[in-house]
Amino acid sequence: MSEVTLNGAGVSGAEATSRAGVLRRLRTTDIVFHGLTRGAAIVVLLLLSGVIISLIHGSIPALGAFGLGFLVTEVWNPVTEQFGALAPIYGTLVTSFIAMAIALPVGIMVAFFLTELCPQVLRRPIGIAIELLAGIPSIIYGIWGLFVFAPFLQRYVQPALIDTFADVPVLNALFAGPPYGIGMLTAGLILAIMVLPFITSISRDVFDAVPPVLKEAAYGVGCTTWEVFGSVILPFTRVGVIGGFMLALGRALGETMAVTFVIGNAHKVSSSIFAPGTTISASIANEFTEAVGELYTSSLVALGLILFVITFIVLAIARYMLLRLEQRVG
Amino acid sequence: MAITSNHPLYNARRRRNAIAKGLALLATLFGLGWLVLILGVLLWEGFGGLSLQVFTEMTPPPGSDGGLLNAIAGSIVLTVLAVVIGTPIGILAGTYLAEYGRHSKLSSVVRFINDILLSAPSIVVGLFIYEIMVAQMGHFSGWAGAVALAVIVIPVVVRTTEDMLRLVPDTMREAAASIGLPRAHMVVRIAYRAARAGMVTGVLLAVARISGETAPLLFTALNNQFWSLNLNAPMPSLPVVIFQFALSPYEEWQKLAWTGALLITVTVLALSIIARSLTAARKSQ
Amino acid sequence: MNAQTSNVQQQNGAAQVAVPVATHAKVDTKGLPEKITIRNLEFFYGDSRALKGISLSLYANKTTAFIGPSGCGKSTLLRILNRMYDLYPGQRATGDVLFDGDNLLRAGQDINLLRARIGMVFQKPTPFPMSIYENIAFGIRLYERLPRAEVDSRVESALRRAALWDEVKDKLNANGQSLSGGQQQRLCIARTVAVKPEVILFDEPCSALDPISTAKIEELIDELKQDYTIVIVTHNMQQAARVSDFTAFMYLGELIEFGATETLFTTPRDSRTQAYITGRFG
Repeated sequence: MSEVTLNGAGVSGAEATSRAGVLRRLRTTDIVFHGLTRGAAIVVLLLLSGVIISLIHGSIPALGAFGLGFLVTEVWNPVTEQFGALAPIYGTLVTSFIAMAIALPVGIMVAFFLTELCPQVLRRPIGIAIELLAGIPSIIYGIWGLFVFAPFLQRYVQPALIDTFADVPVLNALFAGPPYGIGMLTAGLILAIMVLPFITSISRDVFDAVPPVLKEAAYGVGCTTWEVFGSVILPFTRVGVIGGFMLALGRALGETMAVTFVIGNAHKVSSSIFAPGTTISASIANEFTEAVGELYTSSLVALGLILFVITFIVLAIARYMLLRLEQRVG
Repeated sequence: MAITSNHPLYNARRRRNAIAKGLALLATLFGLGWLVLILGVLLWEGFGGLSLQVFTEMTPPPGSDGGLLNAIAGSIVLTVLAVVIGTPIGILAGTYLAEYGRHSKLSSVVRFINDILLSAPSIVVGLFIYEIMVAQMGHFSGWAGAVALAVIVIPVVVRTTEDMLRLVPDTMREAAASIGLPRAHMVVRIAYRAARAGMVTGVLLAVARISGETAPLLFTALNNQFWSLNLNAPMPSLPVVIFQFALSPYEEWQKLAWTGALLITVTVLALSIIARSLTAARKSQ
Repeated sequence: MNAQTSNVQQQNGAAQVAVPVATHAKVDTKGLPEKITIRNLEFFYGDSRALKGISLSLYANKTTAFIGPSGCGKSTLLRILNRMYDLYPGQRATGDVLFDGDNLLRAGQDINLLRARIGMVFQKPTPFPMSIYENIAFGIRLYERLPRAEVDSRVESALRRAALWDEVKDKLNANGQSLSGGQQQRLCIARTVAVKPEVILFDEPCSALDPISTAKIEELIDELKQDYTIVIVTHNMQQAARVSDFTAFMYLGELIEFGATETLFTTPRDSRTQAYITGRFG
């Protein structure tokens, strides 16, 4: 053993003992800290199980009273205490479908523009603008929809569409009057505007992840920009785009405030997308605090359970898809 | 046969390319157009109603003038509480995922569940807190609202904490271990320090996220027409006031709703910009 | 403080195969105290065996170099000595590694204490994200509660020991990451020294540095030997020849040859060693 000098190696016997003591203390805090972090991780699990258990617990009276028929019953009558989830489920699906049918192609084209066409100087500002807009609270979209967009649709768009398709079968049922302004179409369109920045920013990230050599190889054989996009970028990132689509769909399905303002809150299944309807989240937001009686409240919680199950599945698929893309890109 | 520039197939391809590019440009203008429109109306209507009164008076009864003071105060209290409750849990759980449990089974489950919570409908969170707190206590309360918002904060913070800790190179961990440092001390004194900017960003993004959240507050904190900082009583908040006032038939209320919406948007945008510049500063280092 | 010592050869001697070896290289292993004794060491990454039956002695206050082509297991061997592999799952070692007679592989070994006694300097400089002063004081305060003045003097002596004091004494509060690569590496050496280890492991400490910084580090290693037992992994044979007293040549997870550096470089016994040091593979 070398001697202990100021610069010398090693430590003396007494020092070694005190070091062992110090390390024991450090190790104790390490064990405590490990336990704390693990506990916090478990809290995350408990939150989700808590959500599921509390929703199931709250739904028991309604599901007990109505059974599986709850899912396919249109009636929603607080007076007679008859409740069915068909109208909200239908409204949720229709509004989300409208939203995704518009936002997906537009969002992908915007991402295409941003990654392949946009002049370099504009790329960052537009990209940042889109990401900031993705963070705007949904209540803003809701209030704008109520005061600006719905009156505009009622005044100009809906009468025109009703007139245009009055004699076309199928479409005349889809676009049947009267023009209320608020209704499923309005809600769907506002959802589309709301998820657009979201889809754009995910698609852009995903397109940016394509290895440049792949694109260069395609350009090298004389492909046009569009052909490179269609035959290299999109196929390569397909799972990622689907994942992003699913995430956006999850948002649209569960969105409350953007929809509640403009959906009309009518528990009705209508063929016309101009008609007022309701979605699961809008019904809960509108009625929960006013619901009297166990069955009414419980039916609303049961709606929440249905929403949660649907979004859980959609989000799980989304995560799975995005994970697959990640593994592919490495 | 050589392909020349006026080959019909080549021309068709070129045309298709031009059309696609045009559509992409249109889509961008279309998308940005809506967003500009929304923000424009918001600024116009919001600024129209903005006055000192908004910050000094309480929410008015129907049909009369007033401000948003109690709602603003309520929102601040709820947000601060939610961050105080949610951030430590989020940071600790994120630390577990990135450090102790990096390869464990528990981590992959927690990571998946956290991602689900991150995008779960916020109204469901409201129902959850209603069931476990409001229904048990028998009344709406500020506490319930704060906890509901905390449930939304946690997954955001977990995610950014994990991501940021993963950016800390393993060599740093090894270097810390090589002077005998146990993991906890490496994490707290070195990894947190290296990841600090990113973790602060995560918290700011979480604040931005909850400052506009309405759905989880509707039946937890409920609302309150009056000044109230009593956490055991219903508590007003900006988003819920906006929701109520916008749907009311009274013009004064609608005006206040717009002003409130402007306040929220400015807050959220400011927070996002600060968060962004923090991470940008770190990247450029 | 850091007087130029004669045995540091500059890079221009690189073309030679058998580089003149440090003046103190003439040593007889007999009677030298063994600091670390490795017996029948095997190492596994999951199911694949990375080290096969390694037996080797590391002598106190001597510098031992591990050389060999990439993937030969030299870094793996080094990282067993402070059990760095414990940070990762699925890695395990069998056999004996006696450190002052105590098997450091045994279960229940106090790994943190072990690492405080066996310091390590890495391939890439790894200053902590804090000031130069804090980088050193951090390790000192970890184990001892000292008055500020004493910490100051310990920091200074560690920085002097690492031949960095004169360059940083006026900017101790600057961030450690603001230093040049070579300075960062010396900062890391100072940090290691400040914890008062008995053994210092160097894992290719110069591979990310320029020739001048490399020379400084090599000089430093030579000086540190007076107080510490030193083990260095290097892919640079000239460096091994310049700084080490003993050299172990490894190939495909096996220890092929071990001996006094001079002997190994001038009269290798194994044909593979011969092939490697004459640059025919690796």
